[in-house]
Amino acid sequence: MVGFSFDNYQRNQFLTAKGYPVPTATATGTTIVGCRFDGGVVIAADTRATEGDIVADKNCEKLHRMSPSIWCAGAGTAADCEFVTQLISSTLELHSMSTGRAPRVVTCLTLLKQHLFKYQGHIGAYLIVAGTDPTGPKLFSIHAHGSTDVGYYLSLGSGSMAAMATLESKWKKSMTKQEAMELCAEAIEAGIWNDLGSGSNVDMCVMEVDKPAVLYRNYRTPNERSTKEKSYVFARGTTAYMSERVRPTVKPLAYDIFEETVSSTGGGESMEIDG
Amino acid sequence: MSDPSSINGGSIVAMAGKDCVAIACDMRLGMQALTVSNDFPKIFQYNNSFIGLTGLGTDVTTLSEVFRYKVNMYNLREERDIEPETFANLVSTTLYEKRFGPYFVGPVVAGINSKSGKPYICGFDLIGCINFAKDFVVGGTSSHQLFGMCESLWEPDLEPEDLFETISQALMNAQDRDALSGWGGIVYVITKDKIVKRLLKTRQD
Amino acid sequence: MNGISVDMKALKKGEVNLGTSIMAVTFDGGVILGADSRTTTGAFIANRVTDKLTQVHDTIWCCRSGSAADTQAVADIVKYHLQQYSVLYEKPPTKVAAGLFQELCYNNKDALTAGIICAGYDEINGGEVYSIPLGGSLHKQPYAIAGSGSTYIYGYCNTRFKSNMTKDEAVDFVKGSLTEAIKWDGSSGGVIRMVILTKQGVERLIFYPDEYQKDY
Repeated sequence: MVGFSFDNYQRNQFLTAKGYPVPTATATGTTIVGCRFDGGVVIAADTRATEGDIVADKNCEKLHRMSPSIWCAGAGTAADCEFVTQLISSTLELHSMSTGRAPRVVTCLTLLKQHLFKYQGHIGAYLIVAGTDPTGPKLFSIHAHGSTDVGYYLSLGSGSMAAMATLESKWKKSMTKQEAMELCAEAIEAGIWNDLGSGSNVDMCVMEVDKPAVLYRNYRTPNERSTKEKSYVFARGTTAYMSERVRPTVKPLAYDIFEETVSSTGGGESMEIDG
Repeated sequence: MSDPSSINGGSIVAMAGKDCVAIACDMRLGMQALTVSNDFPKIFQYNNSFIGLTGLGTDVTTLSEVFRYKVNMYNLREERDIEPETFANLVSTTLYEKRFGPYFVGPVVAGINSKSGKPYICGFDLIGCINFAKDFVVGGTSSHQLFGMCESLWEPDLEPEDLFETISQALMNAQDRDALSGWGGIVYVITKDKIVKRLLKTRQD
Repeated sequence: MNGISVDMKALKKGEVNLGTSIMAVTFDGGVILGADSRTTTGAFIANRVTDKLTQVHDTIWCCRSGSAADTQAVADIVKYHLQQYSVLYEKPPTKVAAGLFQELCYNNKDALTAGIICAGYDEINGGEVYSIPLGGSLHKQPYAIAGSGSTYIYGYCNTRFKSNMTKDEAVDFVKGSLTEAIKWDGSSGGVIRMVILTKQGVERLIFYPDEYQKDY
């Protein structure tokens, strides 16, 4: 039950050999950035998910919570980002419950990089990991093969060049929270406008030392859809149908709950259990 | 040559309305250009959750059985019905388990949460990445056409009867421009206390 | 592909590379490690301020070249073993660290792209440099150069290296060599980082392009 199943692998290889290409998974053609400031760190992402050249989701969430004060922005294969992030965040929670301490960003980073290295790049998750812990604000990036980088400002994904151009020209050491937030939003917008794989809105998460992390869902919405001039609702009865069946929704299952009390037969020695 | 998920053909669409959701599919099963059956529905109901499965026919059938088994086990273990949100996560993890040997499907889930009464729809890619949508989700060989139809026809807060017209027209007009979909259509309109299933009168070519 | 054989090219596609210029030099009283700071994915500079000089024990460090993921994983494992070693026995000699690197790189040579220079200082042996190139062999050398940029500076280093240099001479030697490597190698660049390991402990240096390129 644990780990991946390769049941369909041979069948799919056969199909591939026959000339059927494997369909593409949702890749978050993405722009994600992270930036440190005095007393904290901020990460941001765009909200477009693509399947090939189709926009699969116009407002998806690329910011993942690893622990209350550690957040992760993901680029690459959307499913891989989602699941690797869920797996490690539950490992982190168990770890913090057993140690009685809040998880550290480096712990999160190490768990992620060792997991990704084990899969040799086949799990296509490219992550920016950020957060605060007793050792201060931290900002890292991880590539799918398991390599990590440290930085004051980072960008990843197909829009990383556009974002990095903004960061390289406007970043300065020692910024306020507001300055860092605006810089990140601007870097993501550079991706939204100039990278075809990125689009829609800006999501942001701000993590400050000794404060709860704040998620700004749709911090900027520069691509809001205008309301339609005209309604395209069809007149009722437009669609012809041949048969109709109406049923009530399924009622909650009526289970009988039995209660049984087991007691020893009393008198003399109590019954020996477990030998 | 085409990819595995367009050998058999088929399309799915789900939409959210005002306190209601609708999910619709075509009825075709083919082998490339040859139509084999016009009675291959792709929507399956588990408790009050609905899933539309498009893609490789064998995987559609296999997965529908897998989900039947898993939902039955859930019912026995939890002694309650599965909510659409929970079911969506079940679908997601089931697909991701086969990350490196996937089922060639594009599922769509629809339902109404029995506690909150809120409509719920979502879509997936073949390895289980959930696409949470507020408006509509599509899948299958005519997904391109469906995206266009839904993007222009859908509007917020449609009543069940209006939602039926919108989803039906979206599906029918999309599949008329897809050689691999069509040959009938089924629409489910789901409200908190009632499920209406209609068999559409469509072109048979 | 038939499901049994594995395509190595596909396996390593899009990997982060340390197209690198690294070196380590012994001198009178210790050892210096030096590296550029560029990491690339294809033609894109993924990080221009990378730290390729990695600590595996108090005064045992390594220079990493090749795959960033592979060399980080190897260095992490060596670091773990050396910590274990120092708790159980004593401060590890540089040779032990180099041996660990060699063992990992040799046993996993089919899966790794790692060219490592391990250098360290200890009271008994003084400063030592060990080179572990791609196949996983181990070479003790007075000085070592590695990475894509090193090819350009074999002659430069060979004529200029002297044994038992002073610290300042050694720093100039490393700086001069890496400046040339960075100049000629497109995959090397950024700042020059150095770590000096002596009886006194660890000293870190950084040289910015404005300084090391001032003579051009």
